[in-house]
Amino acid sequence: MGSVVLPHLNSGWHVDQAILSEEDRLVVIRFGRDHDRDCMLQDEVLYKIADRVKNFAVIYLCDIDEVPDFNAMYELYDPCSILFFFRNKHMMCDFGTGNNNKLNWVLEDKQELIDIIETIYRGAKKGRGLVVSPKDYSTRHRY
Amino acid sequence: MSTRRDFLSQPAPENYVAGLGRGATGFTTRSDLGPARDGPSEDQIKEAIAKRAAQLGLVPDGKKGKDKEEEEDDERFQDPDNEVGLFAGGVYDKDDEEADKIWEWVDERMDRRRRQREARENAERDEYERNNPKIQQQFSDLKRALASVSDDDWANLPEVGDLTGKNRRSKQALRQRFYAVPDSVLAAAGSSGEMGTTVMDDGAASSNSTDASDGTMTNFAKIGAARDRVLKSRLEQASQSAGGDSVVGTSSSIDAQGYITSLNKMQMNESQAQVGDINRVRELLQSVVKTNPNNALGWIAAARLEELAGKIVAARKTIDQGCTRCPKSEDAWLENIRLNHDSPNTKIIARRAIEANNRSVRLWVEAMRLETIPSNKKRVIRQALDHIPESEALWKEAVNLEDDPEDAKLMLAKATELIPLSVDLWLALARLETPENAQKVLNKARKAVPTSHEIWIAAARLQEQLGQGQKIPVLKRAVQVLAKESAMPKREEWIGEAEKCEEEGAIITCQNIIQETLGWGLDEDDDRKDTWAEDAKASINRGKYETARAIYAYALRVFVNSRTMWMAAADLERNHGTRESLWQVLEKAVEACPKSEDLWMMLAKEKWQSGDVDNARLVLKRAFNQNANNEDIWLAAVKLESENGNEDQARKLLAIAREQAPTDRVWMKSVVFERVLGNVETALDLVLQALQFFPTAAKLWMLKGQIYEDLGKTDQARETFATGVKAVPRSVPLWLLYSRLEEKAGLTVKARSVLDRARLAVPKNGELWCESVRLERRAGNLPQAKSLMAKALQEVPKCGILWVEQIWNLEPRTQRKPRSLEAIKKVDNDPILFVAVARIFWGDRKLEKAQSWFEKALVLDADQGDSWAWYYRFLVQHGTEEKRADMVTKCVLNEPRHGEVWQAVAKDPKNAKKSVEEILKLVAAELEQ
Repeated sequence: MGSVVLPHLNSGWHVDQAILSEEDRLVVIRFGRDHDRDCMLQDEVLYKIADRVKNFAVIYLCDIDEVPDFNAMYELYDPCSILFFFRNKHMMCDFGTGNNNKLNWVLEDKQELIDIIETIYRGAKKGRGLVVSPKDYSTRHRY
Repeated sequence: MSTRRDFLSQPAPENYVAGLGRGATGFTTRSDLGPARDGPSEDQIKEAIAKRAAQLGLVPDGKKGKDKEEEEDDERFQDPDNEVGLFAGGVYDKDDEEADKIWEWVDERMDRRRRQREARENAERDEYERNNPKIQQQFSDLKRALASVSDDDWANLPEVGDLTGKNRRSKQALRQRFYAVPDSVLAAAGSSGEMGTTVMDDGAASSNSTDASDGTMTNFAKIGAARDRVLKSRLEQASQSAGGDSVVGTSSSIDAQGYITSLNKMQMNESQAQVGDINRVRELLQSVVKTNPNNALGWIAAARLEELAGKIVAARKTIDQGCTRCPKSEDAWLENIRLNHDSPNTKIIARRAIEANNRSVRLWVEAMRLETIPSNKKRVIRQALDHIPESEALWKEAVNLEDDPEDAKLMLAKATELIPLSVDLWLALARLETPENAQKVLNKARKAVPTSHEIWIAAARLQEQLGQGQKIPVLKRAVQVLAKESAMPKREEWIGEAEKCEEEGAIITCQNIIQETLGWGLDEDDDRKDTWAEDAKASINRGKYETARAIYAYALRVFVNSRTMWMAAADLERNHGTRESLWQVLEKAVEACPKSEDLWMMLAKEKWQSGDVDNARLVLKRAFNQNANNEDIWLAAVKLESENGNEDQARKLLAIAREQAPTDRVWMKSVVFERVLGNVETALDLVLQALQFFPTAAKLWMLKGQIYEDLGKTDQARETFATGVKAVPRSVPLWLLYSRLEEKAGLTVKARSVLDRARLAVPKNGELWCESVRLERRAGNLPQAKSLMAKALQEVPKCGILWVEQIWNLEPRTQRKPRSLEAIKKVDNDPILFVAVARIFWGDRKLEKAQSWFEKALVLDADQGDSWAWYYRFLVQHGTEEKRADMVTKCVLNEPRHGEVWQAVAKDPKNAKKSVEEILKLVAAELEQ
């Protein structure tokens, strides 16, 4: 459901424009394949929170098969990974997993996802490049 | 915001390179997944450009016409974030192409002009450099030649001396140059000092001014005097300001007590007080007073501050306020009275004070002092007594005011009725009464205050005054009663009381006190002896000889057989008593301890010294009866006889002594006796006999050798010494005599070997080493002496005599002081060394220091004759007549026996009968300088 409703970015140019166009909001982009099971689960969650975070974040989806330009640049090798940008800057978040660059597992708790997005937004507004996630996910998910 | 999102519906531009538009950079988290690259790769960009060019139908190498480096330049100036991205989305069309071409043409034209300009400038610079060559270039050929310098040459370059340090020092020295103060300044300072102070002037000032007007001559003495006066006036000022107004005395002495008290009530001049400080403190104190107005101390401090600042009116006001706020504070009232002491208001204030606190003794006394007429004073004090009848202080004041003894008596009687516990009042009353009544008064007092020992002592003294001191044992009863009342003072306090009695002339009471109380509180064991000896010594030190005598008397009654106690008692009598009392003590002593030859000898000596030779003989005879065959007594008898000229008698005595108490000492004395009398042959006989009995007596060997030496029989003397050192190899003096004999005979080599053997036999002996060094020095072999000295100091580092030898004979004059400092550090206490140091100071004309060092040496070892002799010599040159006489008597008292030169002189048969003083003078003349 969420895969259908959330806006898709169809080319590298669109991805860049999406990131450049926002002045005051966090840009959240889910890279993955729409038909992938993890992605469908994650999209559902994203869709449900999209309205609740619309004041400080905007959510896009991007198919890594359709737009392969960023696969090497952003190491998009996971089935589903979410990246955050603010004013053309890639935002990092210390989830405790060892990879601060992106959220590369399926986070099904809506409130937790909202909290993460909000924390990153607040850090970004203060000029931080790296924030610490409100919750530690080091034991929750292993590769 | 929605406008921003339009891009979603727009198509992506052709050949767009993803991420290039926003300058995206990637990241690498997991190297195993493959390298991430920074943004779009180079290939991607080139590919895209080529594609775009092909699409537009342009020459693919359209931009290649330019220089390579300019291309790079362009790229360098590009901001990939902005410029590329700005029009990156735009389409490159024909117009753009034309614009580019125009820009290229402009660039080319500019370049051409620049190239022309640069060529021209280069030419000009070359021209200039040719005309004005740099120094560097001038020497360039020489520098090139440096390449041919080999490593060895570099190494052999001469070092440049370090001149910087020297230069610096010399510059500093230049800067530190001192200039003499001009005479005019000194003279002006002198005269200004005169004006400001009351310096005693001997008319120097006026003559000074005439000199100045003369102007041609400079009188240095007067300038010096002026400077002294300036200093003196400064000191005087300092001492006066320190002493406040109260000190009017001379400038030279500052009374410490007065200084402290004057600090308390210091009144500074306004100019001297630091205004800022006073203001600050005033604020502080005002806040104190405001926050706690009922605290009298704050008010007093505030008033004192005003007084200090010189504002006496403000001070009075402040303290007045204080008194109204704290009417119950005595201190505040007293301060108030003190501040008003010269105004007529004082009495009013005093009345107010007393109204507020009518039970304050201090205020009453102060009020009484304010009255000037005795009758008024009496009135005040009577009023006071009405209010506070139980104050001892007030009664005392009242009694003091009475002129008539009868009135005083009445007052005291009343007082003792009211305050029966006041011992002072009882004693005062007793003192005023007639002896009979006094006894009654004291009895009453005793009943009232049974615990007071003062009353008992007063009673005892009363008895003494009445002439019954010995008969009635007041103090015995006193001790019993006081012990019963358990109010017995400590032993030390009793001794103190006894001393007080002695001071006031009541000697019998003093003795009685000691007799009754000395054993009080001490266990019945031998510790008592030490305690009493210490007590007596302490009393002697305080100058209380009667007390000490009483203590000894008591102690000797307990320890009849204690020799040390008898000696101490005799010492006391000798130093502070009469000759008769000394004899008495000694007689008692020899009766008590007949086996103590010391006491006998002391008695004999005292008798003899008083000229009573027969009695001395008698004493010695008694001593013989008690201690038969004691060599000391024998020898004393011999000495007595020989000194009195009875040589035959002495000889006989010696013969008997040799038979009855055959010790080496008796033999030796016999030999010496004969030798002194000039009977060399007899002496030789005796010494030969003696050596058969006592072959290990070093002194006998020495005597024998010396006798031979005197006779001029060097060979025999040598033989004697040789056998002597074999028999007694550990006797240092014997070795020394041996070596000196050899040296005197001119056989330095032999003397040296003798000393070497001596050092082997007696290792680590400073005297032997010193003699070796001296031998070398006398032989003129200074380097050898120095090396020996180094060895000696290594082996015996703590020997004063070695150090002295080094300091005086082996060091240059400039090195003496540092060397002596080192010596003192190594050897802390050596009288010989101290004398050497004193002589160094003497040589430098530092007489005070020299004298103090001499005295130190003498304190350290008064038996050292050489120190005395040096000191005598010093005083002959620099001392006064009295000082010298004083020193000689001290020397005679101490009877020094040791010291290198002293012994040599004193033992010479020629000087045998000379007194200590004569010997002292001889030695002083003998000393090498």
